[in-house]
Amino acid sequence: MGTWRGVGSASAGGFHRMTRRRLLAGAAVAVALPSVALAGAGPLRFGLTPVFLTNDLDLLSRLKAYLSRSTGRPVELVLRRTYQEITALLVSDQLDAAWICGYPYVEYRQQLALLAIPIWQGRPFYQSYLITGAGRQAEGLADLAGDIHAFSDPNSNSGYLVTRALLAERGERPETFFRQSFFTYGHRNVVRAVASGLADSGSVDGYVWEVMTGTEPALTGRTRVARRSEWLGFPPVAAPRSALGGDAFEALQRAMLSMERDDDGRAILAMLRLDRFGPPEVGDYRAIAAKAELVRTLG
Amino acid sequence: MTGRLPHPRNWPVTVKVPVLVAGLMVIVSLLVTDRVLERLVETQERHLDALAGTYLDGLSSAVLPDVLRADVWEVFDALDRARLLYQDLNAVETIVTDTDGGVIAASDPRRHPSRSRIADERYEALPPGHVLIDERRGEARVRRILTYQARPVGAIDARLDVSGLLAERREVLTTLLLTNLALTLLMAAVGYLAVRRMMRPVQVLSDHLSQGQQGRMVLIPDRELAAPGTEFGQLFRRYNAMASAVNEREMLSEQLAREETLASLGRLASGMAHEINNPLGGLFNTIDTLRRHGEKQEVRERSIELLGRGLAGIRDVVRASLVAYRSDRAAAALTREDLEDLRVLVEPELRRKRLRIDWDNRVEGPLALPGGAVRDVLLNLLLNACAATPEGGRIGFEATTGHRVLRLVVEDEGPGLPDKALAYLSNPQASRAPVEDRSGLGLWMVRRLVDERGGSLEARNKEAGGAWVGLTLPERAPEKAEELRHVA
Repeated sequence: MGTWRGVGSASAGGFHRMTRRRLLAGAAVAVALPSVALAGAGPLRFGLTPVFLTNDLDLLSRLKAYLSRSTGRPVELVLRRTYQEITALLVSDQLDAAWICGYPYVEYRQQLALLAIPIWQGRPFYQSYLITGAGRQAEGLADLAGDIHAFSDPNSNSGYLVTRALLAERGERPETFFRQSFFTYGHRNVVRAVASGLADSGSVDGYVWEVMTGTEPALTGRTRVARRSEWLGFPPVAAPRSALGGDAFEALQRAMLSMERDDDGRAILAMLRLDRFGPPEVGDYRAIAAKAELVRTLG
Repeated sequence: MTGRLPHPRNWPVTVKVPVLVAGLMVIVSLLVTDRVLERLVETQERHLDALAGTYLDGLSSAVLPDVLRADVWEVFDALDRARLLYQDLNAVETIVTDTDGGVIAASDPRRHPSRSRIADERYEALPPGHVLIDERRGEARVRRILTYQARPVGAIDARLDVSGLLAERREVLTTLLLTNLALTLLMAAVGYLAVRRMMRPVQVLSDHLSQGQQGRMVLIPDRELAAPGTEFGQLFRRYNAMASAVNEREMLSEQLAREETLASLGRLASGMAHEINNPLGGLFNTIDTLRRHGEKQEVRERSIELLGRGLAGIRDVVRASLVAYRSDRAAAALTREDLEDLRVLVEPELRRKRLRIDWDNRVEGPLALPGGAVRDVLLNLLLNACAATPEGGRIGFEATTGHRVLRLVVEDEGPGLPDKALAYLSNPQASRAPVEDRSGLGLWMVRRLVDERGGSLEARNKEAGGAWVGLTLPERAPEKAEELRHVA
C-alpha cells in the first residue's frame, strides 16, 4: 500500500494559474489546479462513483453537509454516470478528492494519492460476487457459460475486473464465454438486471449486495450469490497526487478520518453500513493490481 | 304447451296491453342499451388511445437513443421506470425491438429475453398507431414504430390490461339490463292494473249479461253505475233500460201463457161438457124408457147396457182429464198412454167439428221427457189444429222414437201459419214471440219447451194448404231417465 503513496508537490505555475482563474471569474473549466491554491477560495469538489448507493439523496445531502461543516468550506459533490468520468476528473485535478474504485486507483496510481480507506466489518476489504437468479443452481463461474451477463462498469474492480481476470485465467473473454454481456453502470442496476431476468448472471460489488440485503431485501431476494471472490482492497477515497499535503487534502482527510467521532458522521457511516474511514496506510490494492496486470497480459 | 295457449288475438285486453307495453319497453331498452354501450366503447377507446399514446410518446423519447445503441440495460431501465410512471395504464408487457424484430429489452425479460425474437402471435400483424382490443384476453395491444432521421430503427410493442374497462362495460350492460327489466316489469304491472281498472265496467256488464241468460235480466244497481258522462255510464244505463224492457216482455208473455192455458182449459171443459152432455140425453131417454117399460126383461137389459156404455164413455173422459191434469204427474216420464189420453181429450172437439184425425202413435215404453209439459204443448197444438181446420177436414198426428229422440208432427188443413209465427218457430235465435197474435201464445210455449229440452222445431205451411209443425225432443241422460222411471 505504501508503495503507491506518492507525495504531491505544489505546481510551480499554481499561483499564476490561480490568477488567471480569478480573471476567468471562477469558470469551471480550470484544469490541474493545485488544491492548496484553492484554500479558502472555492468549494471543495468531492467526486462519487456509482459504486455507492448514489440513489440515496438523503445520504448525499448529509455527506455534503458533514464535509462542509467539518472542513469549514463549501463542498460540491460531483456525480457522474461512469467510473471513467470521475476518474478522468480526478486525474485531471478537477476534483479535490473522489471515492473511486480500487481498479482505477491501481491504473492511475502514479497520478493519485490515497486519502482514506473505508473499514467494513472491521477490515478494509470487500469481495466481488457473481450472482444469478434466485432459483438457479450455479456454483462458480463455470456454470455461467453462455449466460447473458450484466457487468457494473468497465472500470469497476468488483463489477468487471474480477470476473474478467477469472475468464482470462481460463483463456476466455466475456464475448466468448458469455452469450451476451452489457454494462449497467451501477452495482444496484446489476442486481436489478439479474433479479428481473434481463441478465442471467452478474458481477457485483459484494459490499453493495450485502448492504442491499438490508435495504432492499425484495430485490436481492430474487438473486443468489454463485461465487464470492477473495478479499480485495475496499474502494478508497483518493486525491490527485498533486494535492497531497495541501490544505484541501488535509481538511478532507481530517473530515473523513474523524467521521466516526461525530454524530452526523456516525449517521452517515450507519447509512453506508461502514465502521469508519481508516488512514491510507491500511489500504492494500496489490491483488487488484495483479488482476489488472493479468488482464493486460492475457487479454 | 304452447299449443294450449290461445292465439294472441284472443287474449284478454288485460294481458294484451301489458304485453304490448313490455314489448315496446324491450325494444326501447335494446336501442338505449346499444347506444349507451356504443358510446361507452367509443369513450373508452378514445381514452385508451390517448393514454397509450402518451405512454408510447414518453417511452419513445426515453429509449430512442438507447435503441440506436442497442443498449440493453438502458432500454430495460427506461421500461422499468415507465412501469412505475404509467401505473394507470396497467401495461402487462412492453417489448422494444430493433428493425429485425429482435428483442432489445422487454419489461418481462424472462418471457422475452434480449436478442430473442418475438415468438408471440399476439404481436404479429399488429398495425401501428392504433389500440387493438382483444376482449377474450382482456388486453389491448399497441405498437409504435421508432423512427430516427425518417428511418425506422425499432418498435415498441405493448400489451395493456384492459380487463377493468371490459369489466366496466359488462357492469354498465348488466346495470342497463337490470334497470330496463325492472322498468319493463313495472310498466307491465302498471299497464295490467290500469287496464284491469278500465275494464272493470265491462266485467260488470258481462257478469250481468251472463246472469240474464239464466232467466230474468238483472239490473245493474245504482251504486255500480258509472258516472253518466262516461262511455260506460251511458252503456250501463242503456243496458238497464234494455233489461227492464226484456223483463217486462217476459212477464207479459208468461201472463199471456197462463191466460192461454186457461183458455185451452175452457175449450177443453166445453168439449168435455159436450162429451158428457151428448150421452146424458140418451141416458135420460133410457131412464125414461126404463121407467115406462122397465118391467119388460128385454127392454130393461138393453137399457141397462145402454146406461153402462153411456156412463163408461163419461168415465173415460173424466179419467183422461184427471190423469192429464194431475199435478204430481207433470214431471213424470212420458208414456204411450199420455199421448193416447190426448186423443181422448181432443175427441169432443173433433166430433163437434166432424173432423177426421190420422193418429199415428208409435211411442212404446216410457221416455225420459216430462210427460206433463209435452202433453200441454201437444194438446195446445192439436186444439189449434182443430180450430184452424174447417168442418169435415182432416188433422194429422204422428209420434215416432229413435236414437233417444222423440219426433212429433202435428198438421192441419187450415189457412196455414202467419209469416211472423213461422219465422218465430223456425228461427232459434228469435226472442220476440208474436204476442199480439192470440194463437201465437201456443207457439211461444212450444218454442220454450223445445229450447229447454235442447230440441229442434220446424214449422212450415204445406203447399196443398194447412200448417205442418214438427218437434224433435232429445231424451235426458240415461241416469236421469232411470230416475224418472222410478218416480213414475
